[in-house]
Amino acid sequence: MNIKKLLSILVLAAVAGCTQQDQNVIRIGAAGPMTGDQSKMGIDLRNGVDLAVAEWNEKGGVLGRKIQLVPGDDQADPKQAVSIANKFVNQKVVAVVGHWNSNCSINASSYYDAAKIVAISPASTNPRLTRQGFKTVFRVCGTDDQQGGVAAEFAVTRLNPKRVAILHDKTTYGQGLADFFKKAVETKVNVVFYDGIQTKDPDYKAVLTAMKEKKPDVYFFGGVYPEAGRLVRQAKEVGLTVPMITGDGVYDPTFVDIAGKAADGTYVTFGKDPSGLATSKTFNEKYAAKFGPPGPYSIYAYDAANIILTAIERTKSTDGSVVADYISKNTFHGAFGDISFDANGDVTKAPYVVWKVVNGKFVEEK
Amino acid sequence: MFVQQLVNGLALGAVYALIALGYTMVYGILQLINFAHGEVYMLGAYLGIICLGVLTSVGMTAYSLPLALLITLVVSMAFCAAYGAAIERIAYRPLRSAAKLSPLISAVGVSIILQNVVMLTQGKEYKNLPPLLPSSGISLLGANVSPVQLFILSASILLMISLHLFVKRTRMGKAMRATSQDRVMAGLVGIDVNRVISTTFMIGSALAAVAGVMVTLYYGVVHFFMGYLAGIKAFTAAVLGGIGSIPGAMLGGFMLGLIENFGASYISSVYKDAFAFIVLIITLIIRPAGLLGQKSMDKV
Repeated sequence: MNIKKLLSILVLAAVAGCTQQDQNVIRIGAAGPMTGDQSKMGIDLRNGVDLAVAEWNEKGGVLGRKIQLVPGDDQADPKQAVSIANKFVNQKVVAVVGHWNSNCSINASSYYDAAKIVAISPASTNPRLTRQGFKTVFRVCGTDDQQGGVAAEFAVTRLNPKRVAILHDKTTYGQGLADFFKKAVETKVNVVFYDGIQTKDPDYKAVLTAMKEKKPDVYFFGGVYPEAGRLVRQAKEVGLTVPMITGDGVYDPTFVDIAGKAADGTYVTFGKDPSGLATSKTFNEKYAAKFGPPGPYSIYAYDAANIILTAIERTKSTDGSVVADYISKNTFHGAFGDISFDANGDVTKAPYVVWKVVNGKFVEEK
Repeated sequence: MFVQQLVNGLALGAVYALIALGYTMVYGILQLINFAHGEVYMLGAYLGIICLGVLTSVGMTAYSLPLALLITLVVSMAFCAAYGAAIERIAYRPLRSAAKLSPLISAVGVSIILQNVVMLTQGKEYKNLPPLLPSSGISLLGANVSPVQLFILSASILLMISLHLFVKRTRMGKAMRATSQDRVMAGLVGIDVNRVISTTFMIGSALAAVAGVMVTLYYGVVHFFMGYLAGIKAFTAAVLGGIGSIPGAMLGGFMLGLIENFGASYISSVYKDAFAFIVLIITLIIRPAGLLGQKSMDKV
């Protein structure tokens, strides 16, 4: 009896101690796929946030409190993303940088909105994310209707195809992007093939052989680098030599690692090269010293974290609606350049450019 | 296109068949579904890519590619056979007299351990191998049969014939058949049941290793999670052909490869995985024991 009582008191004290401690830190969540085949992207994202948090903590934190990074691994799975969102809500996280995949961000966003948690995605490009009327949801990247339009424009004017084939990976991001590309391109060029592929499937020879029969001059793929790498590699093996055009989900050196020489000649839409900016140079150096070479979305995650922390500092508040209101009305000077948001929570300028893989390196197409 | 898809489907089917053989042989003897088998295939693929990488760096592949492939196959088969025997010894043998569910759960555990060991030691990223063989091969009725496809088909058929002869003609094969019919009786007439079971695991794992090396050559990429889907597909192939039946696993593997390829190319690749399972369901409704399986009264 007594021992039980003592134990319960101890447990209560421990719990009370925890909550006491909790109020002294400001928790920032970082969510993305940190295990599984897209794990590099989630880890790049977390590292970007980590760097921003470390810099703020060196300066003494924000509102006199230290900042704590809470990582959340959604495994690129929208169901898992919801449980990460719930975990963040329970842990009283003030704001979240994430998620990476569009379907994860969209699924989690309603939970963040209900709990008034600011969520800034560094990479989710599906338009639906910011068009649900949620006041606390933002993104610092472009959207797939912009991106699909840029890819279509480039394909039509520069590559001059007569026949176009389209593939997608059946995800919110991949199929969404493929559909925007299709919409932008089909009035000008004949779309001869449209089909989806299974993610994680090692073998795409069947669909590629079927696509080759339709004799496309170029093909578009809406999806992420693991699948894109296998696709271009196997395309060359079935004798399909026309170039692939694809989106920001493929912009990563790992794409070249998987595809090898077959990656050369692939066109990828992505943001402008920020390396000309002095701020991005310092970011690159600091990041490289801590984690190694930055990933394509590390700088976006870093900027997203800085926007959140700046807004908290200026508003002197950790209330999500106050912080969100400040974010939507102001311009921020990120490592990537100036960022401001429109009424939806999208960035006001999202310049997509086309990159081409040349000798295994991404080179901006002028 | 038909002939090209036929060749693609047969090559894919040969890989499924080789993995399915391991499932079916173990099931035939122990009535155990060895869920760690897909992971042995993954290990085979990793050993293949490491071995070929080393051999390339010392100039062996440039000197003689067939010899390099042979060395890779032997190394990968030997390692995986040892793994197979060790898994059986550590994770299944102590549970042999336990309830039927226990070794099954142990198998799932082994599968998770192997995946994580490979993930932690080899990394979470894809590993790739530059193509060693040219992609254009012999032309057959308008289809291009690449050297890798030719290698996969010939090697797998050769292995299947040898396995068939081994089971039907040798003393050990006879002991295996006896053990699969009745383990206790086989022990009573003087068959070393433990040795038979170990051998079965070793053979099944070595065949999975060959499948792993083939896939490394065919797709050029390996990943620690690759064994999961391949394992499920191969298990489907084994059930389709009739689990416990060796010719059934071969037939099931080839059928599965062909169904997937023709379904994906003539209907839509969106439902590629679904085709295989639809055919499986229909087969099981019509022939519950699988295509070549035998009806059994006492096995659930």
